Amino acid sequence: MMSLFNILNLGAGSLDAETQATSVTGENLSNVNNPAYARQRVDFTASTPLNTPVGQEGTGVTVTAIQQIRDALLDTQIQSEAGVTGSLNAQQTALQNAEAALAEQITNTSTSGSNSSPNGLAADLSSLFNSLQSLSTSPQDISLRQGVIGAAQQVAAQFNQDASSLSSLTTTINSSIDSDVSGANQDLSQIAALNAQIVQAQAIGGTANDLIDQREQVMEDLASKVNFTTSNVGNGAVDVTIGGVQMVNNITQTDSLATGFEPTTGRYLVKAQNAGTFLSLAGGSIEGDITVRDGALAQLQTSLDSLASQVTGSFNSIYSAGFDLHGNTGQNFFNGVTAASISVNSSLVADPTTFHASGTAGATGGNSVVVALAQLANTPNANLGGLTISGNYAQTVANLGNALSSVNVQVANNGAMTQMLTNQRQSVSGVNIDEEMTNLMQFQKAYEASAELITTINEMLQTVVNMKTT
Amino acid sequence: MRVSSSTFPDNFLYQDNLLQAEQNALQQQATTGLKFALPEDNPAGMSQVLNLQASSSANQQYRTNISDLQGQASSVSGLLTSLQAIVSQAGEIVTSADGTATPTEMTTYATQVGNLIQQALQLGNSKDSQGNYIFGGTATGSPPFTATTDSNGNVTGVTYNGNSTVNQVEISPGVTVSAQVPGANTSGTGPGGLFINSATGADLFNHLISLRQDIASDNTAAISTTDTQNISKDETNVLGQVSSNGVLLSQLQAAGNLASQQGNNMTTQISGKTDADLATTITHLQQTETAYEAALESSTRVMQISLVDFLT
Repeated sequence: MMSLFNILNLGAGSLDAETQATSVTGENLSNVNNPAYARQRVDFTASTPLNTPVGQEGTGVTVTAIQQIRDALLDTQIQSEAGVTGSLNAQQTALQNAEAALAEQITNTSTSGSNSSPNGLAADLSSLFNSLQSLSTSPQDISLRQGVIGAAQQVAAQFNQDASSLSSLTTTINSSIDSDVSGANQDLSQIAALNAQIVQAQAIGGTANDLIDQREQVMEDLASKVNFTTSNVGNGAVDVTIGGVQMVNNITQTDSLATGFEPTTGRYLVKAQNAGTFLSLAGGSIEGDITVRDGALAQLQTSLDSLASQVTGSFNSIYSAGFDLHGNTGQNFFNGVTAASISVNSSLVADPTTFHASGTAGATGGNSVVVALAQLANTPNANLGGLTISGNYAQTVANLGNALSSVNVQVANNGAMTQMLTNQRQSVSGVNIDEEMTNLMQFQKAYEASAELITTINEMLQTVVNMKTT
Repeated sequence: MRVSSSTFPDNFLYQDNLLQAEQNALQQQATTGLKFALPEDNPAGMSQVLNLQASSSANQQYRTNISDLQGQASSVSGLLTSLQAIVSQAGEIVTSADGTATPTEMTTYATQVGNLIQQALQLGNSKDSQGNYIFGGTATGSPPFTATTDSNGNVTGVTYNGNSTVNQVEISPGVTVSAQVPGANTSGTGPGGLFINSATGADLFNHLISLRQDIASDNTAAISTTDTQNISKDETNVLGQVSSNGVLLSQLQAAGNLASQQGNNMTTQISGKTDADLATTITHLQQTETAYEAALESSTRVMQISLVDFLT
C-alpha cells in the first residue's frame, strides 16, 4: 500500500505532467503562424505501478514523449513539388525577359490606322521593303536612297539589340545559377550542422522536434534550387545526394556544388566540387535556368542568327550584281552573318550615290536591282523553312510565345498542386487554436484537481501529525 | 479533413491572388480594347497578326507606288499630246507641199519643218522634276538625243544615246508595270520607242530631216510618196503610244481601287483577330469583381472568430 507521502509524490508528479503538457500547448500556440512548425503533443503514460497483495496500485502519470505530428510522405511530396515550382518559375522569368527583349506587342495606337506591333523587328523589316518600293519609282533620288539606308540600319540595329538583350539575359541566368549554387551550398552545410545537433540531442533521448522542423525547412529551400534524394542514417541524421554524388554523409558535408564550363559542349553547368563530375539535374531553379537557357533561348538566338544570315546573303547576292551611279559594282549591302554582327556597308552609308540600283552597266537610271530587293519580301527562302523573311520571323515570335504560354499553364497547374499539398500538410501538422485552447482548459482542470489532491493529502498528513500531540 | 488555423488565410490568399490576376487581365483588355497584346497570350494569333501587318503595310506602299506611277504617266501624257501636235503639223505640211505650192511657200514649209525638228528634239530631251531625262530609257546620264548640224544651222542627223530598257515598278505582289517610254527601240521587241521604233517603221527625226531636204530640193515626187508614207508611220506610232498611255492610266486606276479594297479587308481582318468585344469583357469584369467582393466579405467574417473570443 502507498503511504501518504507516496500519494504526495503522485500528486506532484501529476502537477509536473500537466505543467509539461501546458508548456507544449504554449509552444504550439506560439508557433501557430510558423509555417515550418509541426504541432507537438505529449504522450501520457501511467507510471510503473506497485505490486500489492490486493492488486497493482498505480503511481500516477508521467510524460514519456513529446511527439511531433508530421507525415514524412507529404514532406517528400512537398519537396518534390518545390523543385518543380522552382524550375518552372525560373523558366517563366527567363522567357518573359526574352519576350520583352523582342518588344513585339500589339497596340492600337500605331500610325498605320490598324492594330499592329510597331516596335520590333517585324515593323522594321516592313519599313525596309517599303523604302525599297519607294526607291523603285525614282531610283536616282538621293533622299529616297537615304531612306532605304536608314531603314536598313534600323533593321540591323534591331537585330543587334535583340542579340545583345539575349546575350545579357544569358549572363543574368548564369549569375542566377551562381547565386542559387551558393544558396544551395549554404543549405547543405546547414543540413549537416543540424544533423549533428539532432544526433546529439536524440542521443540523450526523445526526438529533436524543433531541430527536425528547421532541417525540413532548409531541405525545402534546397529542393526549390536543386533536386536531391535523401536516406535516413538511423540516428536521426539524413544523407543528401545530388545527381548521384553524396553531399551530406551523416553529420559531415562531404561535397558541395560548383559551376563551370563543361569541356565538350562548352555549356555552363553545375558540378560536384570535390568529385569534379558534372551533374545532371531533374528539378529546382538551377535546372530550370539551364533548361531554358540551353533550350528555348538558345533556339531563339539560333533562329535570329539564321534570319540575319539569310537577310545578308539574299540581299547581297542581288545587290552586288548591280551598278551604282558611277558604274561601280560588286559591293555588299549588308555585312555580318549573325544577329549581333549584321550591319549596313559603311561605304554605302557614307555615300548614297554608291547604291547599286541599276541592273545594267551604263544605265544609271535603272531600278531592276531595287525591284528585285523589294520582291524579296514575298520570296520564300528554302533556308528559312520555305517561309519569307517576315514569315520566318513571325514564326520565331510564335515559337517563343508557345514556349512561354506552355510554361504559364504549367505554373498555374503547379500552383494549384502546391496549394493542395500545403493544405494537406496543414491538416496533419498545423496548429488549430480552438483545439489548443480546448487542450489548455483540459490541462488546467487536471492541474487544479491534482493541486486539490495535494491539499487534501496535506490536510491528512496534518491530521496524522496532530495525532501524537495531546 | 482537419483544418488548422492557417488553412483559412492560406486558401483565402491563394484564391484572392487568382481573382486579382483575372481582374487585372480583364481590366487590361477593357483599357486597351485588345483581346491580346503579347505573344504569350496567343502565339498563333500573334504570328497571324505579324504576317497581316506586313501585308497591310506593303499594301499601303503599293498604293503609293500606283500614285507615283500615275503622276509619271500623266506627265508623259502631256508630252505625248505635244508630240502629237508636232507630228500632225508635219502631216499637214507633207500634204500641202505638193506641186501646187509656190517657191515662197516651199521655203516657208522647209523652215517650218526645221522648227518642228527643233521642237521634237527639245521634247525628246525633256527632264522630270528630279532633273532626269524622261525618254532615254534607263541610260539617263546624258541627253537622249544629240543633233549634228551643217554650216547653215540645219540639223542633218540625230543620234539616240539612250537605251530601250524601261524601269518596272511593283503595284501588287508579283505584278509590275512601267510608266516609262524609251525614246527609241531599234531591236523590234520590247517597249516601243517613241520617236524611233523599228517595229512600226517610225523614225521621226530622220523622216523630218528627209522631208526638209526634199522640200528644199523641190523633190515633190519623193514628198508625195516616201515622205507621206513615213510621216504617216510616225503619226501612227505616236497615236499607238497615246493609246498605251491611256490603257496604263486605266490599269493603274483599277489597281489602285483594288488595292484600296484589299487594304480595308486586311484592316478588318486584323481588327477581328485583335479587338476585344467590350460588352463581353465588361460583363466578365463585373462578374469577377462580384466574386472578388464575395470572397473578401466571407473570408473576413470567418477569419476573425476563434474560441478565444468566447472564453472569459
